[in-house]
Amino acid sequence: MSPEATALEGRIVANDLTKVFGEVKAVDGLSFSVEPGSVTGFLGPNGAGKTTTLRMILGLATPTSGTGTISGLTYAHLPHPGRTVGAVLEATSFHPGRSARNHLRVFCAAAGLPDKRADEVLEWVGLTQAARYSVRGFSLGMRQRLGLATALLGNPRVLLLDEPANGLDPEGIAWLRGLLRHFADVDGRTVLISSHVLSEVEQTVDRVVIIARGRLLYEGRLADLEGANGGVVVRTPSPEQLSGALAPLNVKVTPRADGSLGVVGATPEAVGHAAWAAHVELHELRAGSSSLEETFLRLTAEPSAPTEPGA
Amino acid sequence: MINLIRAEWRKVITVKLGWGMLLGALALAALGVVAQIASNGNGANGNFLPPLSAAETQRSIAASSGSAYLFSVVVGIILITTEFRHFTSRPTFLIEPRRGLVVVAKLLVAALVGIIYGVACAALTAAIMAIWFAALGVNIGWVSNGILLSMLGDTAVIAIFAVVGIGVGVLVRNQIAAIIGTLVYLFVLEPLTDIIPLVQKAYPYLPGAAAAAVTGANRGSLAHLNAVQGGLVLLGYGLLFAVGGWLFTIRRDIP
Repeated sequence: MSPEATALEGRIVANDLTKVFGEVKAVDGLSFSVEPGSVTGFLGPNGAGKTTTLRMILGLATPTSGTGTISGLTYAHLPHPGRTVGAVLEATSFHPGRSARNHLRVFCAAAGLPDKRADEVLEWVGLTQAARYSVRGFSLGMRQRLGLATALLGNPRVLLLDEPANGLDPEGIAWLRGLLRHFADVDGRTVLISSHVLSEVEQTVDRVVIIARGRLLYEGRLADLEGANGGVVVRTPSPEQLSGALAPLNVKVTPRADGSLGVVGATPEAVGHAAWAAHVELHELRAGSSSLEETFLRLTAEPSAPTEPGA
Repeated sequence: MINLIRAEWRKVITVKLGWGMLLGALALAALGVVAQIASNGNGANGNFLPPLSAAETQRSIAASSGSAYLFSVVVGIILITTEFRHFTSRPTFLIEPRRGLVVVAKLLVAALVGIIYGVACAALTAAIMAIWFAALGVNIGWVSNGILLSMLGDTAVIAIFAVVGIGVGVLVRNQIAAIIGTLVYLFVLEPLTDIIPLVQKAYPYLPGAAAAAVTGANRGSLAHLNAVQGGLVLLGYGLLFAVGGWLFTIRRDIP
């Protein structure tokens, strides 16, 4: 990776991040980048190492090895982190006896922001009515909104949100989606949101970083993930011939565990026609029942066989 | 730094704890004054206490304000441990990743809180004394009997104990353990050293004895430091704990 690319304003880069807790490798040589102007989903099952990764990027945890950077700098070296990066980590971080407004005013003071900023962000997240109540009585959804308000205080260029949809009702999720899309599309900010449920963020994100057991499984556009465009499953006794026949369609062909082929980027009709034209025998041809969620589950499933030794 | 101090100050005044502890400190001080004046027979028959007009009696009554150190040390502990308990440590260290600066801001704010506790308790103590003594027709030698000076010493000790509380809390993140450990030390362990010959030489340098050197509430026949030395030794404990906490806990991963 060239230094210029790394130093791109607003880009989040994980470079070979590793975190070991005792005997457990919570994060294992993880590298990925998150681009400005996009909403990136950071996905993986519970315990995959998402929160640990975010904590390392945010400087709350020290990597065992590797680095996490934002705009080319480690968190501790950011000139005004409170005004550059907004972050919410899972499990809410509020004193139960402090009102929402006072909570925000504490951090206005710490970041050197005017106090009226607290009222502005409260309005953004729809908590103006509850501003003067102590957080003790807040629902999980309200706490999520207050966490988001805290992250937005400094009008940050980069947002990292850990499970932000947790506890939000469908209306709240739609609202969050609109807000995050606006940040990325209109403001060109960097937005990274973690989730353990793909469907929760499927309609919000452009790109995904999928991890399991601390390792990267997939990084790229959500649209390129098998199943995203209703992939096609096809079974044939001559897979090589079929691959050749499909080559002009510019599709991605991957062998599936059951011996069939997964085809991404074409309709079943197009695949069937190509096979017929090339005289390739087909035993099965169907629209990919492998939805995104299935793909996600398959990607992140525990390996049934032992993993490769010495990896 | 001024931003961090403002933030830490707001953390104190926006929750009930600081105010509740202040009320507790005031109540304890008032109780001490009232009990001492009421139990003093003022030279009446069968009462062996020196009369209210005696300088040592007046100083002893005025020293009631000093009990607020119990509250200020607990407030200091809670100011820092509550960050870890409620995970406000996360936004705090996200906005200011230089964790040492946050701890310094907390030390300063804790000292300020301690001074406010000390001044409030001294003012209440002085007010009760002034009114009650006037009613009894006894003069108070505020300056000549060294009362103002001892109240100043008490306030210093209360402020320094708040700093010690921050230091303990930085070192022992667990709130309950830090509070109970501190109180057990002050009330049980340190008094025990009086009766253990081996540690009697070190006794003047222990936190409670250093505090006693400042307030003048010397215990028994044991040697004590002078007031300024005592104050510095006590402050030294606070800073030592804070530095130790920075080395062993604060620099590590934030929960």
